[in-house]
Amino acid sequence: MIRLENVTKSYSTDVVALHDASFEVEKGEFVFLVGPSGSGKSTMLRVLNREERPELGAVWVAGRNIVDMAPSRVPFLRRNIGNVFQDYKLLPNKTVFENVAFAQEVIGRPKHVIAQQVPAVLDLVGLAGKEHRFPNQLSGGEQQRVSIARAFVNRPLIMLADEPTGNLDPTTGEGIMRLLDRINRTGTTIVMATHDQRIVNSMRKRVVQMDRGVIVRDQARGVYD
Amino acid sequence: MWSRISYTLRETWASFQRNITLTFAAIITAAVSLLIFGLTLLIQHGFDNLLSKWEGGVEMIVFVQAQATPEQRSVIEGALNQQQGVIIDSWRYCDVECSLAEAERLFAGDPSTLELLTESNIPTQFKVVPTEGTTVETLRQLKLDYQRGLPNVYSVELAEDQLDLISRLQGFVGLYTTGLWISLMLAATLLIWNTIRTAMFARRREIEVMKLVGATDWFIRLPFMLEGLVQGLIGGITACGALWFINDRWTAGVSEFPQDSGFSALVVSDGYLSTVMLIILVFGALVGTIGSGTAASRFLNV
Repeated sequence: MIRLENVTKSYSTDVVALHDASFEVEKGEFVFLVGPSGSGKSTMLRVLNREERPELGAVWVAGRNIVDMAPSRVPFLRRNIGNVFQDYKLLPNKTVFENVAFAQEVIGRPKHVIAQQVPAVLDLVGLAGKEHRFPNQLSGGEQQRVSIARAFVNRPLIMLADEPTGNLDPTTGEGIMRLLDRINRTGTTIVMATHDQRIVNSMRKRVVQMDRGVIVRDQARGVYD
Repeated sequence: MWSRISYTLRETWASFQRNITLTFAAIITAAVSLLIFGLTLLIQHGFDNLLSKWEGGVEMIVFVQAQATPEQRSVIEGALNQQQGVIIDSWRYCDVECSLAEAERLFAGDPSTLELLTESNIPTQFKVVPTEGTTVETLRQLKLDYQRGLPNVYSVELAEDQLDLISRLQGFVGLYTTGLWISLMLAATLLIWNTIRTAMFARRREIEVMKLVGATDWFIRLPFMLEGLVQGLIGGITACGALWFINDRWTAGVSEFPQDSGFSALVVSDGYLSTVMLIILVFGALVGTIGSGTAASRFLNV
């Protein structure tokens, strides 16, 4: 599903975010990207989403090398990738329903499809009955659930999560991880960058550890360190 | 498809309301610049009317009394032919019909004078193109000779006496009004650009999410471009209304000027006014689309 071949990405001559990084993720895998701040985890996710282009190497997503992809094709790539962020990135002036529907609306899904799929995904993430609330009327965990619902509503092949539990207390974080695990079981590949040692150790999924842009460990059913 | 159209229209309207002050400023600037652009075209057209009788290199006109007989006209033709190849390069006769048509243009703003001119009293004209190198002094001498020596000549006019002042006036007015409308048009484009940039900045989070969930750049750009287009068009429509009003008042006012003031030619017909209005609307739409399109493309990475 995802393959990186000798990828190098730098922001200036002395800031190398990724250095000769190579790894492969199979369809339906759950991979944790771990490492200290500045190790290149977020850059890795941004490269996979084609928000950044590496100087060297190839990035294969769903069978296509996205490094050379024409900019006009990038939106279509992103329709197969769901994104979850630490700060949720919800639109404050839209309700829960509208935030999730927005992801379908902007890619031209018909109204009747939106009316059918949005309640279903809100039910999946445990937000049934809260469709008409605004983000500021929700707890952090609930806001992250909306963000996950928005990322999942178009049934993406891949979900990229950047510190999704970073702003949440441990109990709420566990709930979010159970939800991501559930989504993963539907066949969606998940790559998640995290600092949360407890979560990584309890989930026992594949762990890719990074340090100063270099992949230093790739361990199946791994732990944080 | 319908959901996309509905989304685009809804977003355009919402954005329009959100930036009402900036939008209003952009529309006013576009309207003023387009109005001055329209006035420039009308003024230039008026000057062209004024100079139309001198078209084709004509530098001397011999006006002949309406009661002149064919024999007397033959005498004048003979005198012109005598100078052909020396002072005169060519000449043509503007008969009653031709002179009436020309009078309609020259006295467009002076219907009372126009009414007095009929087939039986309008002077006909010999329009003379001099040879290259002929000096004004030579033409002045020829003018005197013709006035004194030819039968039933009403008057002889030299382009030099009228053209110089009118051309200078046309150049002066043309230069300043053109400079003014270009500057204002640029200001309007920049204001629309700024309105759209502000609208995009205000919605940067929304745009970021749109991009992340796979909206195409055109999908994001279209409501903003439509907003600019509408701003330009409203400016254009406002300018058209103002132009029509000014032209109407001017046309009504010109008839009160003295008959020999020359202003009666500076009146624009309805046909040309409609063409100018159409040009203004196209320009308005262009200014709006270019301003918003460049802003939307430039700030799509917010």
